[in-house]
Amino acid sequence: MRVSNRVGFLGLAACMALAAALHGQNTAYQQDPNWRAPQEAAACANPLAHKPEAVAGGQKLFHRNCTECHGEDGSGLIKKHAADLLLPAVQDQTDGTLFWKITNGNVDRGMPSFSKLPELQRWQLVLYVRMLKQDVALQATGTKK
Amino acid sequence: MRVLAVFLLFGASLRCRAQESPYFVTYDHHLEEPGNLEIETFSTIGVPRSGQNAYVAPYMELEYGVTARWTAELYLEGQGTAGDSAVFTGWRLENRFRPLKREHRINPVLYLEYEDINEASRIQKEITGIPDVTSPNAQLQPTKDRELEAKLILSSTVRDWNIAGNFLTEKNLSRDEGFEFGYAFGFSRPLSSLASAQNCRFCRENFIVGVEFYGGLGSTVDGVGFRDAAHYVAPVVSWQVSENASIHFSPAVALNGLGSPVLIRFGYSYEVRGFGSKLAQLFGGRR
Repeated sequence: MRVSNRVGFLGLAACMALAAALHGQNTAYQQDPNWRAPQEAAACANPLAHKPEAVAGGQKLFHRNCTECHGEDGSGLIKKHAADLLLPAVQDQTDGTLFWKITNGNVDRGMPSFSKLPELQRWQLVLYVRMLKQDVALQATGTKK
Repeated sequence: MRVLAVFLLFGASLRCRAQESPYFVTYDHHLEEPGNLEIETFSTIGVPRSGQNAYVAPYMELEYGVTARWTAELYLEGQGTAGDSAVFTGWRLENRFRPLKREHRINPVLYLEYEDINEASRIQKEITGIPDVTSPNAQLQPTKDRELEAKLILSSTVRDWNIAGNFLTEKNLSRDEGFEFGYAFGFSRPLSSLASAQNCRFCRENFIVGVEFYGGLGSTVDGVGFRDAAHYVAPVVSWQVSENASIHFSPAVALNGLGSPVLIRFGYSYEVRGFGSKLAQLFGGRR
């Protein structure tokens, strides 16, 4: 029984890895331990948090600036070594941290700085990155049904 | 007729720049994203004083993001003067390096350029002295100028404003003209900070407006200072017409009686995203 469980688990993991590879999703993404937002920046709240209508603009900005590396669905393209934005490692970060990372980039890992975008537009991107997670959750619920 | 031919040659391939700096002369600290290629065509039209002829100096820029901290550019330039001729005026290879990893209050960028141009060049991407806009092309073109140019670019983002200042020095390797100096300073901001939901062309967020000032600061041979050099003030505007493309326009007005009294600059640029990986794919490299 235990052996069959193990085989089943390995099979499931292999299928997921294959599906991720076919999809180009970067589930193996490892965070750069040196890429940390200062505490003050991490504690910043999103000024658009109570303006959910701003997320549509965020989607437009995401499509324009981010999909080249992170993919249309934010899952991160392996060939670009880009983060899967749906992973808890990303989603568990504060809004302020995400904003800081978008602003500064991580030039050693190929992530450019997006400080050229106005501040509110960078916050719109943070809103949209949060929305990606909700989209996936909704899709998962729909699949189960 | 030849002026028109040069204009059409460059103008026909007009493509534009993703929403970035609206400046024509001043550089800010934003580099090209790694792997992206920007194809840009710009023109400088010189409005003549009495005794001068009007000219148009088109140039093409190929700007590539080598890494997130290094952008390289190749320029090809020409010039056509009314009542004279149209000539190719040379090429330039430019590199910009960003020494600091993170955003700071003031962000430095180091700029190094090699120019293989001739005296007929009139694009006026930088001004160090008084451009010769009166001598005929036949006299100017044979005189080669192989120059090294270095710039210190300092740029800040204050709220939604970009404030940038450049200090440049140039050394002609073809003959001894000493070190020549120049400056550029500009500030700009988008008309709207928030992105609208619609994919619209005329939304305020697609427009960036600003002003730039540029001119020469003399040389070690003729003396350093504001005198004996052209100076301009120029409102600038850029309009992002699509996701990859934008149009730029700037009328520059001379602040003294040297050089052309008005320079009308315009351009269009187009960004090819992921150009590096597409090229690698084409030659069987890693995807």
